[in-house]
Amino acid sequence: MSRITYQVASRAYSRLWSILVHWLRVPDRPPALPVRTGDTLEQFRPAQGFLRYLKFWFWLGLILFDGLILIIWIVLIVNKPRLGVFLAPVALLLAAVPDIVVYVALHVRYDTTWYVMTRHSLRIRRGVWIIQEVTITFENVQNLHIHQGPLQRHFGISNLVVETAGAGGGGHEGKGVTNQGVIEGISDPQRIRDLILSRVRQSRTAGLGDEEPVPTWRRSAWTNEHVAALQAIRDELAVWEAWSRQQQ
Amino acid sequence: MSDKATEAPFDPTTITRPDPRLQTYYVLVSILTLAGLPFVLLPLLFKYHTLRYRLDDEGVSMSWGLLFRREIYLTYRRIQDIHVTRDILQRWLGLATIAIQTASGTAGAEMTIVGITVPERLRDYLYSKMRGARGEEEAEPNEVQTQNPAAEALSLLHEIRDGLRRINTSRT
Repeated sequence: MSRITYQVASRAYSRLWSILVHWLRVPDRPPALPVRTGDTLEQFRPAQGFLRYLKFWFWLGLILFDGLILIIWIVLIVNKPRLGVFLAPVALLLAAVPDIVVYVALHVRYDTTWYVMTRHSLRIRRGVWIIQEVTITFENVQNLHIHQGPLQRHFGISNLVVETAGAGGGGHEGKGVTNQGVIEGISDPQRIRDLILSRVRQSRTAGLGDEEPVPTWRRSAWTNEHVAALQAIRDELAVWEAWSRQQQ
Repeated sequence: MSDKATEAPFDPTTITRPDPRLQTYYVLVSILTLAGLPFVLLPLLFKYHTLRYRLDDEGVSMSWGLLFRREIYLTYRRIQDIHVTRDILQRWLGLATIAIQTASGTAGAEMTIVGITVPERLRDYLYSKMRGARGEEEAEPNEVQTQNPAAEALSLLHEIRDGLRRINTSRT
C-alpha cells in the first residue's frame, strides 16, 4: 500500500517538475562554472537532514494551522450544528490544500538549491519563482562563518555564510542582493570552510579589488639590458686580469 | 533567439541598449501594481528609453535618466560578486537582472544591469574579468626563480668587484 502511494507520489512529483521546467522555466540542471584544465568541479546540495529540518517546521505549522481550523469548526458545530455539517467539507479543504502545497513546495525548494565550487570560485543558485544566483571568487572572500541553531544541530546541519566586501550589508542572510553567499543546510560545514579558507589564504591581496601583487623584481630598475652590460664589463675585466698576470 | 546568435563569440561591446523586451517587462510589472500603474510605469519607461550601456576592456558603464541623469562606471577588477536574479516574468521574456557589487559601503548593488537577452554569457564574461577567476597568482613563483634581473645584476657586480680585488692584490 505505502509502496503504491510512494510510486504515485513520485510520478506526480516528476510530472510537476516537468511543468516547472517547461512552463516556469526552472532550470533542471545544476549551474555550471567555467572550469579550466586541472581544475575540479564540485557540485553539491543541502544534506538530507535539511529536508527533515524543513519538514519538522512543516509538521509544526500543520498541527498549529489545522488545529486552529479544527477548534473553530468544533465551536461552530456545537453552536450551530446544521451550519457546521454544511461547512465540514470546506473546513477539510481549507485544512488539507495548504498542507499539500507547502509540502510539495518544500521538496521543490530542496531540489532547486545547488552549490557549485571550483578551485577559484563558488556559485549558489536557489529559488523557484525568483531564481537567485550568486557567484563569488575566493580571491574576494572576506570571512566565513558557520551558523547552527539547536534544531539544526539535532538534524546535523549547518549554514555556512561566505562574505565578501561587497555592498548590501545588513540584509538578512541570503535574501535579496547582499554580500553573502549562504550555503544552507550542509552536513560538513567544517570541510567546506577549510577548503575555502585554504584558497583564501593562497591569495596575497586583501580582496578589495586591489591589483595582483607585482613580484618585487618586476618593480626593480634592473632590466635584462643592465645585466647584459654588466656581463660585458665582467668579460672585459677577465681579459684585463689575464693580461696583468702575463705582465708580472 | 536564433542558433546563430548563440554560437557566435560573445562581444560585450555590442551591448549598448537594453532589449525591447525590457519595455514589455516594465509594462507588465506596472500592470501588476494595479492602481499605481501610471506612477510606476512612467519612470520605468523613461529609464528604458534613456538607458545606455558601454562595456570596454577595463570596465562597464551605465547611464540613464531624463531630468536627473545618472552614470555609473566600474572596473571589472573591482567586482566583488555577481548576482543574477530572474523572476518568472523575466524568464518568460528571456531577460535577467545582473547585479554587480564592489567594495563600497552602499546598501545594495552598485550596478544593476537589466534587459540583457544573453545574461549567462554576460555573467560569464564579467566573471572571467573578475579578480581570482583565472588563478593568475599561481603561475608567478616559477618566473621569479628563472629570471630575476636584479639578483643576476647583483651577482655580476660581486664578480666584477672580486676580479678588481684580485688584480689590485696581485699588483701590491
